[in-house]
Amino acid sequence: MSFGLLLPAGLLALLALSIPLLLHLTRRTEQQATVFAALRWLKASQRPRRQVRFDELPLLVLRLLLLALLALLLARPVLSGLTDARHWVAVTPGIDRAEARAALDPPDAEWRWLASGFPALDQETPARLHSTSSLLRELDATLPDDAALTVLVPRRIDGLDGERPALRRQVDWHIVDTQAAPAQPAPKSPAVLAVRYGQPDEQALPYLRAVATAWRVTPAAAEERQVRVTSGPSSEPLEAQASWLVWLAPGALPPDIRAWIAAGGTALLGVASQAPDLAGGNALWRDARGEVIVRGRAWGDGRVMQLTRELTPATLPELLDPGFPDRLRTLFDPPQPPQSAFAETVAPRPGGLALPSVPQPLQPWLAVLVAMVFVAERWLATSSRRGRSA
Amino acid sequence: MTASSPGLISPAVRARLRDLRLVARRPAVSPGFGAHHSRSRGTGLEFSQYRSYEQGDDPRQIDWKLHARSDRFFVREAERDSPLEAWLLVDATASMTQGDAARPGWTRLDAAKVIAACVIELALRQGDRFGIVTITGNGVATIPAAAGARQRDRCFLHLQRLETAGAWPTPGGLRPIGELIGPGALVLLLSDCFDDAAIELAEKLAAARREVLTLQILTAEERDFPFTGGHRFIDPETGEELLADGAAARGDFLERFTGARRALAARLVGQGIRHVEFILDQPPDAPLRRLFGPAPRAGTAQERS
Repeated sequence: MSFGLLLPAGLLALLALSIPLLLHLTRRTEQQATVFAALRWLKASQRPRRQVRFDELPLLVLRLLLLALLALLLARPVLSGLTDARHWVAVTPGIDRAEARAALDPPDAEWRWLASGFPALDQETPARLHSTSSLLRELDATLPDDAALTVLVPRRIDGLDGERPALRRQVDWHIVDTQAAPAQPAPKSPAVLAVRYGQPDEQALPYLRAVATAWRVTPAAAEERQVRVTSGPSSEPLEAQASWLVWLAPGALPPDIRAWIAAGGTALLGVASQAPDLAGGNALWRDARGEVIVRGRAWGDGRVMQLTRELTPATLPELLDPGFPDRLRTLFDPPQPPQSAFAETVAPRPGGLALPSVPQPLQPWLAVLVAMVFVAERWLATSSRRGRSA
Repeated sequence: MTASSPGLISPAVRARLRDLRLVARRPAVSPGFGAHHSRSRGTGLEFSQYRSYEQGDDPRQIDWKLHARSDRFFVREAERDSPLEAWLLVDATASMTQGDAARPGWTRLDAAKVIAACVIELALRQGDRFGIVTITGNGVATIPAAAGARQRDRCFLHLQRLETAGAWPTPGGLRPIGELIGPGALVLLLSDCFDDAAIELAEKLAAARREVLTLQILTAEERDFPFTGGHRFIDPETGEELLADGAAARGDFLERFTGARRALAARLVGQGIRHVEFILDQPPDAPLRRLFGPAPRAGTAQERS
């Protein structure tokens, strides 16, 4: 365990210690004026002795302490290399709490959910499943070096990414046969693509209808969603179950459409629409010469994309390409990489980067201490006894 | 002692004044009847001599029994007891403002006022004439000598209104004092005696056959010098300032100041001036008791005989 400062220059604030010293010193050197008529018998040579003395020593000590703590606070002290040999048990959401407790019982263990923020096991089961691999790496990096880690995983584990997690510690990868059936992916309801146009004689509309026909005619794979396409003028409200939108009307997006996107909708805007800042968005589709056709970015819980040119064969030759319906479909429904695996195949392997352990910041504790010293200082400075002692 | 004199004399002090008498060492010469020995002859209780009648003598003074025996007119003369003229010289220069930190609001001037009031009460009781001269930086204020309760009230009023100002005036400003105070008068100077001019005035009056008494009023701080730590000592009259450390300056100051007090007392005694010191933490009648007390010291008894 070692003590360190993240910002040692903050200790320059210790120079402020001279302020209370001066305050308490100058009062002493002030001469007390005394009327004294027998002045001529007083020898002028006897100057008052310069005594380095301080008034109200307890108050001065408190003030010095306060300033020193503040300077230390500025210097951002940390405590690194904390030895915390507690046994950590991370439970993947999906395992029942009682099952987890029954599976193993290490003494004095720290039970946590393997979820964002690592809540204690006593708390509510986290609802959303975050990336398990990422959480594992985070937990490994934040735990002290000598803490043992046990991870309880179900036999089939979700939320993985492409790599077997490599951790710097030996993890006890404990597979629990859950009684609860693994959550089967619900059969997907047919998606609804709503097309909204400004004028009925919009050039793009026939092509979009063709795309709709193509989606319907193409024999869909088993897991692919059926898509229903509706269209209407821009004034027509969206259907309740609409999840995708092609917005061809020029001008700014109406607020209800914005709210719909932010609530989780996916929208493709025409080139004439005024989109919320998409300049920094990712290029989602480039043509053969590498120029961007569609760019997009996340917005709220949803996504927004915009065409960079008119949806006409003259400006967008790819419109006539046979692969256009599929390409358009991947824009709305990007393929998901595989995330599930059997737990025994993805047991973490050792050899993760030996990162220096995260130092424990001492600022909150120091802030509490500063507040306490400040209260004490105020109490002492304003107490009624002060007038008598001064 | 008749009417009360509010504010100036506390009842305890007033009670202790009972056995005090204003006494001059020299016989009084002022006219009138009083309680003091005098060299002038006239009507009185103590027989002095017979002399032959001269024209202009009061026929009532002729001793008619002797005339019956000798058939000549003799005038019976007695030693006349004459009143004393008491003068109070009150120094009210700025240095009299000083008091002790231990007893705020009790300054040299306050003490001088109380002592002056005591002397006035004594004089009133004996039927003596008394007057006041107050000396401030603005000049000299006087109440001419007279007797009686109204004179006392005048004097008290004047004392109560008295406030300190400035430094000791120039000798020219003091000239009325010599003219006012007649020969043989009892002059009591109430001062801190720090001004050399005040001592010179006392000496001048003593040399001109006035009976001068000096009462030096000192503060307890001047006697003990209890200061510690740094002090900025300010002379109230000159405004001069001096920085000194109390504890360090103490020994030297006490030595020099005691020496100065002794030298002053010797100088005044050499001029035939009775000198007493009064320190502010003493009762205000203590110096009067030393001057006019009923048990005179051996030296004083010899002088009087």
